[in-house]
Amino acid sequence: MYYIISKTLLALSFAISLGCTELFSQYASKNSPQSIEALIDNLEDSNNKEIIVVAHRGDWRHAPENSLQAIQNCIDMGVDMVEIDVRRTKDGHLVLMHDETIDRTTNGTGRVEKNTLAQLKELRLLDGLGIKTEHQVPTLEEAFLVTKDKILVNLDKSYEIFEECYHIAKTAGTLDQIIIKGVKSHVEVEQEFGKYLDEVYFMPIVRLPDTRAKQLVDDYLDNRLPIAFEFTLKYDSLEMIDYFDDIRKKGAGVWVNSLWPQHNGGHDDEKAALDPSVYDWFIDNAIDIIQTDRPQLLINYLRSKGLHD
Amino acid sequence: MKNIIFIIIATFFFTAKCMAQTDEPMSRIQSISNHLRNPTREYILVVSHRGDWRYAPENSVEAVQRCIDLGVDIVEIDVRITKDGHLIAIHDETVDRTTNGSGKVSDFTLVEIKQLKLKNACGIKGSRFTIPTLEEIMLVAKDKIMINLDKTEGETVQEAYLILKKTQTVDHAIFKANSSMNEMREKYGELMDSIIFMPKLWYENERVAQHLEEYESDINPFVYETLFDSEDATTFKLLPQLNRNGDSFLAICLWDALCAGYTDEKAVVEGAEESYGWLISHGADGIMTDRPELLLDYLRAKGLHE
Repeated sequence: MYYIISKTLLALSFAISLGCTELFSQYASKNSPQSIEALIDNLEDSNNKEIIVVAHRGDWRHAPENSLQAIQNCIDMGVDMVEIDVRRTKDGHLVLMHDETIDRTTNGTGRVEKNTLAQLKELRLLDGLGIKTEHQVPTLEEAFLVTKDKILVNLDKSYEIFEECYHIAKTAGTLDQIIIKGVKSHVEVEQEFGKYLDEVYFMPIVRLPDTRAKQLVDDYLDNRLPIAFEFTLKYDSLEMIDYFDDIRKKGAGVWVNSLWPQHNGGHDDEKAALDPSVYDWFIDNAIDIIQTDRPQLLINYLRSKGLHD
Repeated sequence: MKNIIFIIIATFFFTAKCMAQTDEPMSRIQSISNHLRNPTREYILVVSHRGDWRYAPENSVEAVQRCIDLGVDIVEIDVRITKDGHLIAIHDETVDRTTNGSGKVSDFTLVEIKQLKLKNACGIKGSRFTIPTLEEIMLVAKDKIMINLDKTEGETVQEAYLILKKTQTVDHAIFKANSSMNEMREKYGELMDSIIFMPKLWYENERVAQHLEEYESDINPFVYETLFDSEDATTFKLLPQLNRNGDSFLAICLWDALCAGYTDEKAVVEGAEESYGWLISHGADGIMTDRPELLLDYLRAKGLHE
């Protein structure tokens, strides 16, 4: 009897400690990443219960933002999609960089567009404290090669350079795993980039409140179903939220950022850090794609609810 | 007869248990302090640089709380003084990098400082947190974690000491400086005997060996911060002497020039053993890190931390 009890206790404590590691460690055991086919299928299926986790600028807590290492960390963590920012250099190359200038994130200064790729490659990226690392500013092509067949990619600041992004993705063989996004209406996007829209995912961005939002969304839903809509919600009392469920049923995903309070009416990552059940608001409101600054916390929470692989 | 034997044995165990309990269990602060004062090769102290800034803004109450939750031993915090004489936790001379405001810390009053919001690492906005006072930091730390005060040496040791007295945390705080024993004595006199002081053994200090001797023969510190850009640095050659003296020393593995290249980054790229393992094998009793979770995982796996 004693033997059985102690064995049960041992098994129990083992299970608990496993659970704790899973919930609390940033360095939790690496899950075997999902295949890119599974990630794409999940992205295309707006009606399943799986919630897609998007890491804002990569895993910037453990590597410089928009660095190859920050992308690799996301792959290792089991993140579904990485959001990166794209800008053009003086000599026409596309690189990963959030700001208009390189001041905040590198040991150089000045505008991205005033630097050649060779000049940018001389620099080093800074870590979260602003201390120099060994990492370099990656080109979009280098980033695609890391993500290829591993993780979905959302390109921010990409609308103005849509065609260039398209061609680089085509060459790298990552066309089917990227999402380009922009704030334009269906008619405008169709005129400007219609010929590409059968080959690459496009996601309209809708900033709320906006009295024309419903019309904007319906124009897309009726004419060319987008992969998802990115909504920015200043308040959590907006009527449009009641429409999310219908949008999902019609076949498009619903993307909301958990980044800052003004994206989600105050249900943000910082609040979730103190209490992860803050993420229930997203789950309860039919949001199936969440862009976060705390991918590990969000994945752990979704897994505990059976809403993430 | 059987019963009597049972009672005797039971009484014996009961008494033994009571006697064992008369020794009060060591508090967390006593335990950390004990590891610093009596270094062994069985426990390596974890010192978190500016708090766990990967989780919450650097030098925030939340970054300290996170370190407590992780089981970190010591948090390093930067202290500066406001226009109206309050001590606050902030690294830079200006508030530009770490908050949504701009300007020199010394041009703000505490009320003005408290209106700013801290940024997350990388300058990413969104945190709700404000710049803490040293008092707020010490109250969170109390009975939970030791605090290493940086940037106090030039001017604010006296002011900081008053805050520690007020919060009853004098034994929680480790002051440090590059200055010589004489300089510190001239500036702070007998106060140097009332605080825990950790001299820095800086590789660019040409008289670092003498510097060490002067400290040994005066306040006789039990812990040093060591900074060596290579294995040729005099500081590096002094490490065995520190070990022999029974003093403990911290290695600072934040970037290459502080620890001969055996950094956190090396631990990430090449594995913890290559970096943390090397520092420990060269006698380090504690490691100041930008990756407290990684270091703790490594030490716990080796049985070198609780």
